[in-house]
Amino acid sequence: MTALFLDIVTTSAILFIVAAGLMIILGVMKLINFAHGAFLTVGGYSAYIVTDYGFSPWLTVPFAAFVGFVLGIAVERLVVRPLYSRPLDAILATWGLGIVITQIIVFAFGRGVQFAESPMSGTLEIFAVGYSAWRLTLVLVAVLLGVGLTALLYLTRFGLNARAVIMNEDLARGLGIDSVKVRVSTFGLGAALACGAGALITPLLSIDPNMGLPWLVNSFMLVLVSGVAIPGLALASLLLGGAQVVVSTFVSPILGGVTIVVFAAILLRIRPKGLFGG
Amino acid sequence: MADSYASSTARNRRRFWLVGLVGLIALTTVMIAPYFLDRYLVNVLIRALFLAVLAITVDLVWGFAGILTFGQSAFFGIGAYACALVATHYGFGPYWFFGAFLIGLAAAALTAWLVGVLSFYHGASPLYSSIITLALPIVLVQIIFAGGRFTGSSSGISGFPTYYWAVETWFVIAGVMLVVIGCFAWLFVRSDLGRILVAIRENEDRCAYLGIPVSRIKIALFTACGSIGAAAGFGYAAFTNVVAPELGGFLLGTESLIWVALGGRGTLIGPIFGAIGIDVTSSYLSGTLPFLWKFIVGVLFVIVIVLLPNGFASLVTGAWRKFGPKRRSADANDERASHSILLRPAPTVTRLGSNGEKPIIIEGLGCRYGSLSVLGDLSFEGRPGELLSIVGPNGAGKTTLMRCISNGSERTAGTVRIAGNEIAKRSPEKVVGLGVGRSFQNTSLFDSLTVGDCLRLSRYRIDGARLLRRTHHVALPKPALGILEATGLDKHLDQETRYLSHGQKRGLELAMVLATEPSVLLLDEPTAGLTKTERTAIGDVLLSLTNSYGLCVILIEHDLDFVRQISDRIVVLHEGRMVLDGSVEEVVSSDLVKSVYSGHAAEVA
Repeated sequence: MTALFLDIVTTSAILFIVAAGLMIILGVMKLINFAHGAFLTVGGYSAYIVTDYGFSPWLTVPFAAFVGFVLGIAVERLVVRPLYSRPLDAILATWGLGIVITQIIVFAFGRGVQFAESPMSGTLEIFAVGYSAWRLTLVLVAVLLGVGLTALLYLTRFGLNARAVIMNEDLARGLGIDSVKVRVSTFGLGAALACGAGALITPLLSIDPNMGLPWLVNSFMLVLVSGVAIPGLALASLLLGGAQVVVSTFVSPILGGVTIVVFAAILLRIRPKGLFGG
Repeated sequence: MADSYASSTARNRRRFWLVGLVGLIALTTVMIAPYFLDRYLVNVLIRALFLAVLAITVDLVWGFAGILTFGQSAFFGIGAYACALVATHYGFGPYWFFGAFLIGLAAAALTAWLVGVLSFYHGASPLYSSIITLALPIVLVQIIFAGGRFTGSSSGISGFPTYYWAVETWFVIAGVMLVVIGCFAWLFVRSDLGRILVAIRENEDRCAYLGIPVSRIKIALFTACGSIGAAAGFGYAAFTNVVAPELGGFLLGTESLIWVALGGRGTLIGPIFGAIGIDVTSSYLSGTLPFLWKFIVGVLFVIVIVLLPNGFASLVTGAWRKFGPKRRSADANDERASHSILLRPAPTVTRLGSNGEKPIIIEGLGCRYGSLSVLGDLSFEGRPGELLSIVGPNGAGKTTLMRCISNGSERTAGTVRIAGNEIAKRSPEKVVGLGVGRSFQNTSLFDSLTVGDCLRLSRYRIDGARLLRRTHHVALPKPALGILEATGLDKHLDQETRYLSHGQKRGLELAMVLATEPSVLLLDEPTAGLTKTERTAIGDVLLSLTNSYGLCVILIEHDLDFVRQISDRIVVLHEGRMVLDGSVEEVVSSDLVKSVYSGHAAEVA
């Protein structure tokens, strides 16, 4: 029972971390970034590079986030910027970008499976059950990330500008807010979060060129169900992540794999704007 | 009239001949090609031809109707598995084979219909259908995995009994299938119904308010394309003798989008060549340069989406226009002439209101969003031949009232009866059927359609639309014809609407709404942005609608002078409440109205 509870909490935390970057980009830019999966993969390989060169595994996440930020800024300039007025095309273009990134990774690292060193190993004793220490750490990371993003949006100048752009972009521009800059930084931040998330989940999985793909669809569904709000994403991750764990444990792991997708499709039919959508 | 009918059948016949001729050339090519190509290429091409059929369906759904679908591969997979499962587990023979084919088609059609019902409802965001089509192949693949030994799980099924015909035979089968479906698709997209698909892509909401059953058309299209996709998948499986979950997977779904995007969405021929070209090339390069090829396709895809949204087909047509033979311009004129539409008066119908019922009765209508009440307890009625103006300051709820009358799911309280029929929870297209016509505050038209196309599609509700033919005349009620004449639009029937002036657009929109033969006409600021003369012309038109044709016109207007000149009655709204309902004199002389419009000052005075 305790193990099940911990599974639900840690799975939800992982989903929250993985989906956060996609949500930031959708929230501010109204743009669905289908390269999100490839960004996660880039994060995974960044972690692999860091530990492969013998640096401390604790450096994997900052390094991956840095790589993601630079990558995000380049991608925004080259691919995303001409597509703001064509949101459905932006989905396709970022998907194509994901294919390109994946193939570049294949050129560089081959198709094989790699492993990155984990910053933490072993188990922690909690509620009289031994549980993976890294998964428990990720719960803490998810909470900090949620608080940090909320603070960024509501307590900083960038957040104020971003919220102005979300609500009324034309007016924001008229007030002298450089919406181009807001978008570049948002995409950079979203990509940094995605790559950072990729590095955070690598201790739990193997690294391969397609590792991001299964996460892409689930993140996409979670973000839409959330209604594109941080508390909404937390709730969506808990609900759907919880459902996934329960179905995988008690029914079948194969059906568990589609739980999030199916539940999201049903939830969105009932509440098209998501849990926290207006 | 007999003349126009004859010429229109002649044009249709010419189109059929053209399609027939191209089809014949393509068929001949298919028949002789396998004898000139090497064996490996023929094998590769057979698969590519089946995939090209799938590409046609993606182009119809995405390129023409504008539904971004990730899940067309699921239907391909259903067809393929129908072939493999029946042959493996039940039996094989001509009857079994044909039965399996029908099962595949039926299963795919049913799935597509369910997906369609789930995702195409009035007000659904275009993203939702994409989400569902994204979920579909993912769920299908998991079902195949869960099928264990029955479905062969992740390794699929191979070596099931099938017809081991010569590759030449298979090539002809695949080729004939592609040519036949391609030709039908070609006729279809050029038909009346095909134009309606484009209209739905451009402005779905406007279509609904013209009485076009958008959801039903989309569901029907999706169902038909689903079963065509299954037919292609069935052929693919029967030929290759291998099925694997990938055939129904999300990646094949996105790959089919890539073929269509690169070839040129909305062109049919582009996606066919896109699918064949990419699939054949990757078969050749997969041995030597597998990763590089995928990389190149990815890069091309991104570049095409960003810089060349209409794909490589647009390069060809662009070059043709620029460097093609000179007589092209003459051709263009010719084509224009052959496209032109003849207008003619529609037979006068007996109105719904003629059975003695009032055209519109509103009782206790209210509308609230959460705790915010936008409209409360509104009751009034409209009589035939009456011009009723609704005035009130900004934010009084005028446009919301229009929405509540024309869409059954908008209001939260009260009833609206049109000619005795309650609108209940009816969707906009059904409310149009009861006799409500609505024009919008912002002129909303279909940019890439011509004036004639717009008029024809507004007659869909009454005259229907041909599946494979283009009709070359459109019957319009007299008042609509009058407006077209007055604005000179009847001489620009082949003009695309985006080139019209603002005044002409308003005139066209009004004519389109009138073409649906409403008994109640809702007009939201029809004179906004018009010149003085245009305004007077619209006023005259409205007066003739009420006086000569007995329509009940409900008008929202800010220009009080205009309102005073033409109205029979005025309803004053203020903060969502009805303040006054009376004759022009009563309202004009009312102190209450003055205070509403000038705020506190008048109240104090």
